[in-house]
Amino acid sequence: MAALPAGFGMPEFDLTEDQRALQEMARKFARSVMAPRAAECDRKGLFPEDIYRKGWELGLMNLNVPSEYGGSGLSLFDQCMIVEELAYGCGGMTTSIIANCLALEPILLGGTEDQRRSVLTPFCREYQMASFCLTEPGGGSDAGGLQTLARKDGDSYVVSGEKCFITNAPHAKLFTVFTTVDPALRHKGITAFYVPRDTEGIVPGKDEEKMGHRASSTSTVRFENVRIPVSQRLGAEGDGFSVAMRTLDMTRTPIGALATGIGQAALDHAAAYSLQRRSFGKPIGEHQAIQMKLARMATLLHASRLLTRHAARLIDGGQNATLESSMAKSFASDAAMEVTDEAIQIFGGYGYMKEYPVEKLHRDAKLTQIYEGSNEIQRIVIARELLKKYQH
Amino acid sequence: MEILVLVKPVPESESRLRPSPDGRQLDTEGVKFVLAGYDESAVEQALLLKESVPGSKVRAVALGPAARAEEVLRATLALGCDAATLLEAPPGRELDGAETARALALAAAKGPADLILLGKQSGDQETGILPTALAARIGRPGFSNVLDLRWDPGSNRFRFARATEAGEERWEVPAPLVVGLQQAWNDPRTAKLQNILRSRKLPIDRIPAAEVAAALGPAPRESATKFLLPPPRTGAKMIEYGRPEEAAEQLVRILRDTARVLP
Repeated sequence: MAALPAGFGMPEFDLTEDQRALQEMARKFARSVMAPRAAECDRKGLFPEDIYRKGWELGLMNLNVPSEYGGSGLSLFDQCMIVEELAYGCGGMTTSIIANCLALEPILLGGTEDQRRSVLTPFCREYQMASFCLTEPGGGSDAGGLQTLARKDGDSYVVSGEKCFITNAPHAKLFTVFTTVDPALRHKGITAFYVPRDTEGIVPGKDEEKMGHRASSTSTVRFENVRIPVSQRLGAEGDGFSVAMRTLDMTRTPIGALATGIGQAALDHAAAYSLQRRSFGKPIGEHQAIQMKLARMATLLHASRLLTRHAARLIDGGQNATLESSMAKSFASDAAMEVTDEAIQIFGGYGYMKEYPVEKLHRDAKLTQIYEGSNEIQRIVIARELLKKYQH
Repeated sequence: MEILVLVKPVPESESRLRPSPDGRQLDTEGVKFVLAGYDESAVEQALLLKESVPGSKVRAVALGPAARAEEVLRATLALGCDAATLLEAPPGRELDGAETARALALAAAKGPADLILLGKQSGDQETGILPTALAARIGRPGFSNVLDLRWDPGSNRFRFARATEAGEERWEVPAPLVVGLQQAWNDPRTAKLQNILRSRKLPIDRIPAAEVAAALGPAPRESATKFLLPPPRTGAKMIEYGRPEEAAEQLVRILRDTARVLP
């Protein structure tokens, strides 16, 4: 009989006093600064730059950048704890706040010390946004098949192609971009660069109209013969695929935390409403039909939190957690969909109205099943990692 | 300028407080104690003065059970205070305003301060006794309900306003003095994440409970005998209805027949 998969031991998740202090700070920001503006930004598709700037001032924006470059230098566990709190206030704003982590991670993982110092430090010294450019109109999940071409020309590359669904692109000062030096090489041709926005030939598109995360900004980015010096390449030619995958290994788990924060907001709204709304002579929370829902919602959220924190703790300990982080991301995002759906059901007709907060949460939850690796890809990864453990 | 800012750990405003089983005190099990209310303004004001007068230092002082007071002091360090002193409250002893003043005088005696700043009243009991009680205890001028507190380097004086029932008083007073603050120039700032982490590692000076107890002297002359929750409100009648017209009809009937406020 095959050995049982490793890594399923019971984790210890008591927060330290330091962590509680961070959590409390993020909670206060989410509830007093983000949440009061969430409905308006969602309705009008506003990008609340003042809130992002304030978040940057408080150190909430470059959570993964080590303190030697002026960042917050938090463990992934602490990042997840903070992201969950922020998402409770507004999922869309959180996406824009943590997009810097995603865009700067390739530089942390694939950059030289000089590159790291020269690129990361300015982000911690003043408020700026960066965007991660991987997905293309022709495909997201199939990252090996990307078409944006980097043609070597002397001591630089000339990059042409189009990227889409790029978070914060209209506002970014820097892009990390994944290209291929030869599409026929598939994964082995993928090459990563960073490039400042003011480089000639970079053209962000118009803001997309989205179903949710409407306080965040998303657009295409066209690269029209953009000349990028070799010194801005991350690693060697062909290293890009590994840089992209290792980046997503780091940022996938916080998406689980983001989904959990959205779900927790839905549960809190629904539970409070169930004690106040009456039918058949009593609060609906006293009807078993509603109690069953609330119990399941709370259980799903608890499980989501445990999965994300466990994956984060493994990664912080230097272990490979591809399996666990994929489980956390896919489970927590599916859970957020179910929990926000049930929250609408508990609110009944009011839940379907934009005047009430829960339908937005459902729209915001949807994206967490899609971005940073669709849940279908996550399950392929889970199966692959799982079967590896049973092979002799 | 040396500034002492006095802060009190108080229950978070959303906490659900209830009397302990013996009814003699509040049950603080699971209640989080925080920096709140006028004390937040006092800390903000201390930091604003520090920033406007080069070379200034702010020391935060809190009295209370060690764990509670420490959390509140860490919060002040994260906001930008330079040092902190924790006065450990003697266990099992409830302190009134006069006794609190005696205990805090200990911290004031540790070093010369040009300004002792505190909220005009605490965020929980709100008695407002402390600013004047402390000033009397340490023999310095004391002012409460203070607004718009500024240091004027030309005249070497503090200038400020006091909000009174009769209007606003304007004052100019040389250091040292005690100020109970009503409002800072700004809304209280939020601590940056990096500063929160840094503050966790800073030292906190401690004055042990025995020393505090000795300063308090004999047991207080007053003590709380019983804590009671406000009686539950009764008499509210919920109107169950389907259409607004039915609700209006029911309401009119109640106002006319039961409450008899309509003809």
